[in-house]
Amino acid sequence: MSKRLLSLILRVFICAGVSLALAAPASAIPAFARKYGLRCTTCHESWPVLNDFGRNFRDNGYQLRLGKDDVVTANNAYWPVSVHITPNYQYTSTSNQPTDQGAKTVSSGGVADASIDLLMAGVLTKDISFLVVPTGFASDGNVHLESYWADFSRVIGNSDWFNVRIGKHEVDLPASPHRPIDMTVGYLVYGYHPGPDLPNAGAAFDLGSNQLGFEIFGHDQSSLTRYNVSIFSANNDSDSSTASGHALSSPSFFGHVQKYFRPASGVVSEYEFGLWGAYANYPTTTYTFGCTPQFSAATCTQIVGPGGETQIPGTGGNLQSTSRYGAEAQVWLGDLVAPLHLNFVYARGSDSKDLYLGADRAGTWQGGFLEAIWVPSVELLHWGVFGRYDFIRNRQQPLLSSPSDLGNQNQVTAGVRYTIAYTNRDEVALHAEYATNVERGIGVNGSDVRTNIVFLGVDFLY
Amino acid sequence: MSTRIATVFAALIVLLTMAGTACADGTGDAHQGKLIYQRYCVSCHGDKGNGQGEFAEWITTKPRDYRQGTFKWRSTPSGSLPTDADLERVLINGLYGTYMPSWNPLGHRQRVDVIAYIKTFSPRFATEKPQPPISIPTEPRYTAESVARGAAVYKKFNCAQCHGDSAQGDGPSAHELKDDWGNQIVPYDLTQGHVKCGNGGDDIYRVFIAGLSGTPMPSFADSISPAEAWDLVHFIQSLSPGYAKNLTAPAAPAGGSSP
Repeated sequence: MSKRLLSLILRVFICAGVSLALAAPASAIPAFARKYGLRCTTCHESWPVLNDFGRNFRDNGYQLRLGKDDVVTANNAYWPVSVHITPNYQYTSTSNQPTDQGAKTVSSGGVADASIDLLMAGVLTKDISFLVVPTGFASDGNVHLESYWADFSRVIGNSDWFNVRIGKHEVDLPASPHRPIDMTVGYLVYGYHPGPDLPNAGAAFDLGSNQLGFEIFGHDQSSLTRYNVSIFSANNDSDSSTASGHALSSPSFFGHVQKYFRPASGVVSEYEFGLWGAYANYPTTTYTFGCTPQFSAATCTQIVGPGGETQIPGTGGNLQSTSRYGAEAQVWLGDLVAPLHLNFVYARGSDSKDLYLGADRAGTWQGGFLEAIWVPSVELLHWGVFGRYDFIRNRQQPLLSSPSDLGNQNQVTAGVRYTIAYTNRDEVALHAEYATNVERGIGVNGSDVRTNIVFLGVDFLY
Repeated sequence: MSTRIATVFAALIVLLTMAGTACADGTGDAHQGKLIYQRYCVSCHGDKGNGQGEFAEWITTKPRDYRQGTFKWRSTPSGSLPTDADLERVLINGLYGTYMPSWNPLGHRQRVDVIAYIKTFSPRFATEKPQPPISIPTEPRYTAESVARGAAVYKKFNCAQCHGDSAQGDGPSAHELKDDWGNQIVPYDLTQGHVKCGNGGDDIYRVFIAGLSGTPMPSFADSISPAEAWDLVHFIQSLSPGYAKNLTAPAAPAGGSSP
């Protein structure tokens, strides 16, 4: 790329600084690109959102199935490890925050202490693949395993309709919270819980987190018809000490069915409908140790206990349910290679009363999002533009006295992404994004809280 | 709000279902095909279609150079351009043992678009038309006798010179072969359980009659009879350990050693 063009792009970034964030094809796992000699664009509509080919490749256990999958057929220099990091500047302002000087807007910004993802994935042998993702390595020194699983493809009768994945995996949500095109706020519906004015045990459960358990899934040859069932423990990174550590002790379920259609001609090149739902059992008590003496033993058993006690891992009990279910519709306008991709997801959710401390009743809500991703049909598909509107509407507050719209949210995200270079070895892109969120009634004296975020980053993978 | 959202979903379903009833005219759009090519093909085949993309130097078999209009996997006679269906068949099935994957997930609409673009690399497509596809007679029954006769045909046409006595691609000439672009190529190992162009009888028959343009694999259209060709197909199929019609153990090529 010429210096003039690079300079122009940088000026656009600096001056606009807002809804410019870029989305061009990049590679979530460049090791695959190196192994097969395919560019990032092969699997990603606009990084990191998968296209039809990428979805099918993932469904097939990261295999192309033409005799080049097994590691013994790969070049000796091939190593199934990729690195992803996004050095970035981020500015955040949040209104109506309590301070000693009254309600204030609190702002902060700077170059973030970025962490990296080590994306290790590949094929161990025919029809057995794996993914291991250590994440962290920032200045705090923390590292954790974001995801790890083994995948057994075509378990029965060489059929694509029965595959099994075991480990810590993301459930097959309508839009992956681990591959969102935005880099700031994420989707609201997967982790939302009503009752911001209550201590909320249920808030620890996030359907968007990677779950510990196993997944059974199947698809047709091109992954145009798919199903997915996950059975897992309602467990995640933040509360692994409380929930029991295996699926049978706090069984939770997720299911998703999808059907894609491809009109032979016309402005609609593809569309999809899907239904999904989750029913999770979540522990509300646990054995503890070291509870502050003034509290009773019964009080100490509450997960959100008041006594500073240590919860004993694997002893979660008194399971209470939380559910999510919904539908999605996607449509691709224009040619699939450079589409305007619209994704509408609607969700409803419910948390049982006993997931909260002091609740009068269960909390229920509905929400969703409409996401648009546009890949302009310019040479080499360098550009990507995206926008999303997320909303949350509470239907029933856990506290009778709470305003009906407490915690309702409207969130808008917009951005543009320009990929400077992508090859079968690496990718580097400039990413600019703006997001704003308004949440009703959670600020000082019941005021609304608005959060604005500006994000400018260099996203690279190799 | 729930009612409104349900209405939106219902309207979407109706509209999109109606959109899906449109019919295609079967012609590709080369402009869209260029974008598809850039997204999926360019890393091997190169932006000029010369088979010299960034990944090409690291791999064998080398990616096709489209500029000559010379294609291996055709239903048309030797030297002819391929039909669009021939090109799409390769896109659908991929080429086993090479870095050419199956592009089946792309769908017909994208495949015909990229074929339209690939054809712009060679001036032949502007001035010539593909010859009619070769006719493939009905496949006779697969029998042990047919396989045995096929082994004799394998010897008669000296297939072992390149493919070897044991059909493992290790004949005396195997290391001397080059394609029309000067790239060294190796004869196919017919015993590994997959045939590059497809495992079906028609796929293999077509290779004998049409040849593989641009490679030393000739057309036998003028020298092999349909009966001999089918016997040879059955013999090659018998070499694949997993082939469904495999009668017993792979047959030894006539005059060759058993694998």
